[in-house]
Amino acid sequence: MYIAAKGDEDAIVRAESLFNRWLEESDPAFIEKISKSLPYLVDRVMGEASLYSPELAALAIVQTGGDLSETVLLLRAYRTTLPRLGYTLPVTEERQSVVRRISAAFKDIPGGQILGPTLDYSHRLLELERLDGELPVLNTDANIKVDPSDFDPCPDKLPFVTQWEREQGWLPELSDEKEEVDFDQVPDLTVEPLKIPAPRAHRLQSLARGDTGGILTLGYSNMRGYGAIHPTVNELRLSHASIIANHPDTGDEIDLGKIRMSQAEVASTFSEKQKNNHLDLGYCATFGWNEIKVIAGSMLDMAMNLPQPHPSQTEEYVLYHTENVEASGFCIHYKLPHYVTFNSTVDNLRRVSKKTENNAI
Amino acid sequence: MQFKQNMPQNTLSNLSQDHEQEFSYGFLDVHAKKEIRRKLLKAVAIPGYQVPFGSREMPIARGWGTGGLQVSLTLTGGEDVLKVIDQGADDSVNASNLRRFISRMTGCKTTKLTCEASIIQSRHRIPEELLRSDQILVLQVPDPEPLRSIEFNTSTAMEMHGYKDYGLMWLKLYEQLVRYGSFIQGASYPVLVHGRYIMSPSPIPRWDTPKMHQSENLTILCAGREKRIYALPPHTDVKPLEFEDKFFQVEDHADWQCRITQLKNKFMNEIPVESGGSDFEISDTGFITRVQNKGDDPSRHEGECYYSETGEFYIPGFIRQNKAESIQSGIKD
Repeated sequence: MYIAAKGDEDAIVRAESLFNRWLEESDPAFIEKISKSLPYLVDRVMGEASLYSPELAALAIVQTGGDLSETVLLLRAYRTTLPRLGYTLPVTEERQSVVRRISAAFKDIPGGQILGPTLDYSHRLLELERLDGELPVLNTDANIKVDPSDFDPCPDKLPFVTQWEREQGWLPELSDEKEEVDFDQVPDLTVEPLKIPAPRAHRLQSLARGDTGGILTLGYSNMRGYGAIHPTVNELRLSHASIIANHPDTGDEIDLGKIRMSQAEVASTFSEKQKNNHLDLGYCATFGWNEIKVIAGSMLDMAMNLPQPHPSQTEEYVLYHTENVEASGFCIHYKLPHYVTFNSTVDNLRRVSKKTENNAI
Repeated sequence: MQFKQNMPQNTLSNLSQDHEQEFSYGFLDVHAKKEIRRKLLKAVAIPGYQVPFGSREMPIARGWGTGGLQVSLTLTGGEDVLKVIDQGADDSVNASNLRRFISRMTGCKTTKLTCEASIIQSRHRIPEELLRSDQILVLQVPDPEPLRSIEFNTSTAMEMHGYKDYGLMWLKLYEQLVRYGSFIQGASYPVLVHGRYIMSPSPIPRWDTPKMHQSENLTILCAGREKRIYALPPHTDVKPLEFEDKFFQVEDHADWQCRITQLKNKFMNEIPVESGGSDFEISDTGFITRVQNKGDDPSRHEGECYYSETGEFYIPGFIRQNKAESIQSGIKD
């Protein structure tokens, strides 16, 4: 009924309470439970919201009944109210405690392949016994003894595979002098508009906060055959990264805590852009453990350097359209009334059809 | 609710959240407001030029007026009187929602009467009553780029604006004439601002487009999703694109009569009725209220309209009539 789109604040409050009627009451314990039992969902939301707080992410998931576009919007809007106080130092390999780290490019790599936590090789069978309150039997082979307490911690300072590749001369040398970076001058997508061509910082930030589904879709379109690249996963790593900032007064480094993060790097040879017989690299990193996003994102990062005009190789197409909050918001705006604009169009329809009739006579 | 005023110094304690207060004044943090104000000044200085800005995520969905909302929150002070309309209506859910939010965040007063407002945020309409120099119109913009239909690459479109390279735009209009015998652009009819930039006036109907020309009021247009602010300072030439022998036309509502006020020659909503055919209502609900309340307090009902009761636009000769509407169509055989 059209009248439903009018009716002032009363209508808004009633509609919202109807929405909430279908949600079960939740208490702080439930919100904590969400954050601990669904960490991958929380990670995905934190990445797209570009706000690292498992607690607030779980709250947003619960408050929106799991409508993820709304969840991300809620967190982004909260973020708007927070002033940006400063920038942290880069997360280098010394500041990462790695839990999973694999390379598809080599059988073994310096530091070793570390499978870590993954469902990659599990049998995807529903554990129906959980419904009856029984614990699932993960391990049916009596010879395999699993004791979570005896997992070896990963070695500290795991080198990136690219370090070895650089030594082989497959990548350009890095300059010996450590480049001084003024972090206040790094382009920051959260407070600046995305302009095309985008600075590399904006591109990587945009991929980091992009919609997981959108990045997968465009990335997959490139992988499946529309793209001109056939990259290999050089390295994929999940880690707990230490967040370090300089104290505003003393300048001392202070540890703000650890965050989960994922990184992927893909490599390709002999692409159109490739020069000097070097490898081409694509890179993507994001908050939380979200492997699909960083793999697809790193392939898009590489693809966007290519001249071919396929959408997945075009910065504007990829970066604008994988922005979750903008895409979902614009999509649902079509629910707003459009009768004035529609009338303006219909006026032309009448004008033109009248003319066509006159001409026919 | 008491609000902390913007602090002059960027000390940590001033920048960080005051926990006794849920949000800072006008919702946006001080850096965002400062940036938007600076970009607004630039937009006013270069009429019709789209100024990129760091559009923030707002607590309403993108595409629902987040651009207009950021501008309104930045401009509105406690003394302001705010009016918000959506498709001409003050009482649509989205308009109420925005009005409620802005007044909650700034403590401003609100109104539904155009003449009482100091700031009018609008989606897709300009009110029927002439705006004054002490009023600011804030238009919500879904797509700020008038060239998008002919050039989807934004950086190329920016170059075209830079060089005033608008040939393709004229060609598009010419093609419409050839194919349909008239311009078929509905709302968002492109305009040339002070002889320099082609600008999208936002999806206002063509009825409203001439109201932008040489206006007394400041108009600010803002696209939150697309992150662009642009503006029309008072007394700017704003001309709908047209040819010397084929003119821009507003919607033809001349025969339509409002079923509430019995008035004619205002922009009408067409309302299909069950018996077939249509009823008509003036789209500007604030204007209907004014007409209905006439006599209560005459001082609240001052102000002329852009279009007279007989349909003449207030600037004589600005809207020109094509010689004969039955002029032959370009389509032959």
